[in-house]
Amino acid sequence: MNRVLRSSAFTLATGYVAFGFAALILFAAPLWYAWQVTIQDGRTELLRTDAARLAEVFRQEGASGLTAFIKTRVGMQIAGERILLLTDPSLHPLAGNLPRWPQGMPAASGTYSLPVNLGGKPAYAMFAHSVLPGGYHLLVGRDQALFQSLTPRFWYGLAAAVVVLLAAGALGGLMIRRAVLQRVHGLRHTVQAIVEGDLSHRLAVQHGPDELNTLSVTINGMLDQIEQLVHGVRDVSNAIAHDLRTPLAELRSRLEELSLTRPGTEETFAEVEAAVADVDRVIRIFNALLRLAEIDTGMRRSGFVQVNASELAKQAVDFYQPAAELKGIAVTFRAHEPSMVAGDPVLLAQAIGNLIDNALKYTSGGGVIAVQVQNRGGGTVEITVADDGPGIPDAEKSKVLTRFYRGDSSRGTPGVGLGLTLVAAVAKVHGGQVELKDNHPGLRAQMLIAPGVVLKGNALGGSGAPHAAPEVRAAPAADTRPGTAQSTGALAPARALNR
Amino acid sequence: MKILLVEDNERVRRFVLKGLQEAGHIADHADNGRDGMFLAASERYDVIIMDRMLPGNVDGLAIIEALRTSGNRTPILILSALSDVDERIRGLKSGGDDYLTKPFAFGELLARVDVLARRLQGSNTQTTLEVGDLHMDLLSRKATRGARAIQLQPQEFKLLEYLMRHAGQVVTRTMLLENVWDYHFDPQTNVVDVHISKLRQKIESDSERPLLRTVRNAGYMLSADE
Repeated sequence: MNRVLRSSAFTLATGYVAFGFAALILFAAPLWYAWQVTIQDGRTELLRTDAARLAEVFRQEGASGLTAFIKTRVGMQIAGERILLLTDPSLHPLAGNLPRWPQGMPAASGTYSLPVNLGGKPAYAMFAHSVLPGGYHLLVGRDQALFQSLTPRFWYGLAAAVVVLLAAGALGGLMIRRAVLQRVHGLRHTVQAIVEGDLSHRLAVQHGPDELNTLSVTINGMLDQIEQLVHGVRDVSNAIAHDLRTPLAELRSRLEELSLTRPGTEETFAEVEAAVADVDRVIRIFNALLRLAEIDTGMRRSGFVQVNASELAKQAVDFYQPAAELKGIAVTFRAHEPSMVAGDPVLLAQAIGNLIDNALKYTSGGGVIAVQVQNRGGGTVEITVADDGPGIPDAEKSKVLTRFYRGDSSRGTPGVGLGLTLVAAVAKVHGGQVELKDNHPGLRAQMLIAPGVVLKGNALGGSGAPHAAPEVRAAPAADTRPGTAQSTGALAPARALNR
Repeated sequence: MKILLVEDNERVRRFVLKGLQEAGHIADHADNGRDGMFLAASERYDVIIMDRMLPGNVDGLAIIEALRTSGNRTPILILSALSDVDERIRGLKSGGDDYLTKPFAFGELLARVDVLARRLQGSNTQTTLEVGDLHMDLLSRKATRGARAIQLQPQEFKLLEYLMRHAGQVVTRTMLLENVWDYHFDPQTNVVDVHISKLRQKIESDSERPLLRTVRNAGYMLSADE
């Protein structure tokens, strides 16, 4: 019973009954009033008509005629049906079934209700009082008690209506409850199965556009999304396990070999340093993953500010220029100035950096990397990094944007296989996308950034503000060196690093 | 230098303390926020190294805020396993001066501690910088080595300026990335090394004494000393 009381359908039904009850009272109150008034008026009207008829008799036949007429009527009629009294001007009764002039009756004509003594028993009666020519008084009345039975009847009727309403409401509530609960139970069973780990279940959707169906469709959509995410996470976990296994295996064998062979001090330290480098590789992969997770949550969007994409790209080109020169690769840069986007400068800089870094990795000496920033229609900004390296086969183009995928040919080159994934994630969080095209030969990676909106209050964000150490920086104005809008790296041999 | 280390992980604490002592610093330590707060408030330190998550539900940031509110200006380096950009911003906003993510290389920590400790001494109003016979004029944006003028591109000028401001201190690759290029990510390739190598070619001709040294497992140091 407790469960029935607590079910929402029951609450709903109870509510309906309570509402119906209130509505009935609101409906009955004016009815009651109208009924009262109508009945009252009807009674008064009857008495008046009667009085008028008697007055007519008085006018035609005089006081004696009326006296005789009344006496006849009183003699015939059932006592109490009509109260009649004719008096002379001094209120002395001449005829009628009322023994004497009632006390408290006003002297003027009119309709009055007042207590009288009817044949020894007290009663409450209504009178039509007419003052006839010559000062005679005529009273025509009726005992109110005869109408009393009507009032309880009204209330009985009302009570019956309430009972019917309650019964119908309760029945309706039970039926609604059964119908709704049946479907809710269905939903619950499905959801329970999903909670227990089987994400393939879906809610049953019946025909028709009712609310529960709409809800089921929405929930099914949510489940699709969740299932996709869970599978994504599973794939990523597998990929991480795979990519981490290599450096960890190396590390393990290195350490195990050390403890088994116990070589000389010099060699031991070399091995320990190599072990630290292995660990650094693992940390690097973790950092890249954390960064991706941070971007994927979309939380960074709250930190968007107005950013000049051309400026960021130019800085990135300048940054990678010496490394390109060292490899004998020329880097060209062309840009629309300015190319304003709403974005996170740190992420955009990293994405552009990754694109150039990726191009550098796969381009050989004598190659050219072309970086270009263009304003497309509708405020979209397109950042293109094109190289003339080996490119990516069409079949692999979509795969390289997923985590940890590296073309077979790239095994052995440095990197953790997350570079382009990060670019794709950054583009996505900026409402854009990454397109990989053929550069005939080479790869043409295009990052499209949609015109976003800078949230209010971010205007002062500047360059993202995550400066680790607020050191003094050279004025950025110093960057406006002439000719950087189209700078080509020269093929310059560089001195060996780490002297 | 006198350094306070507030860190609850015993292994990390021992490792850092040992390293700091070997580098010639005096180090006090606390393994919880309460003791850390007490020491930081009652003693004078050149630098405080503060872990973020401490036992007893104390956030290192709360301690830093309390210290700053009470007018303590000691440079603070925050250590944390929280690497998000937002967390970093929160750390710096609470009054920390630098933020280092765990796991870290000791060289990185030491270099940052040195820079923090000396920052209060150095003045930002200097218009010239000098290291040995290397001279830099910040107003005319010119650099010379002895009588020889050095042609520098803007990025190279910034890089050299940063190195000169921290002459005699080890600066790590990450510090250079953050402060010279304002890049808060790991570019994966050895781009910084290439920049340094290029700069080195410009400031050190074959006949001149080397100024820019590579410090193994740490970074670089510009110094006139042998």
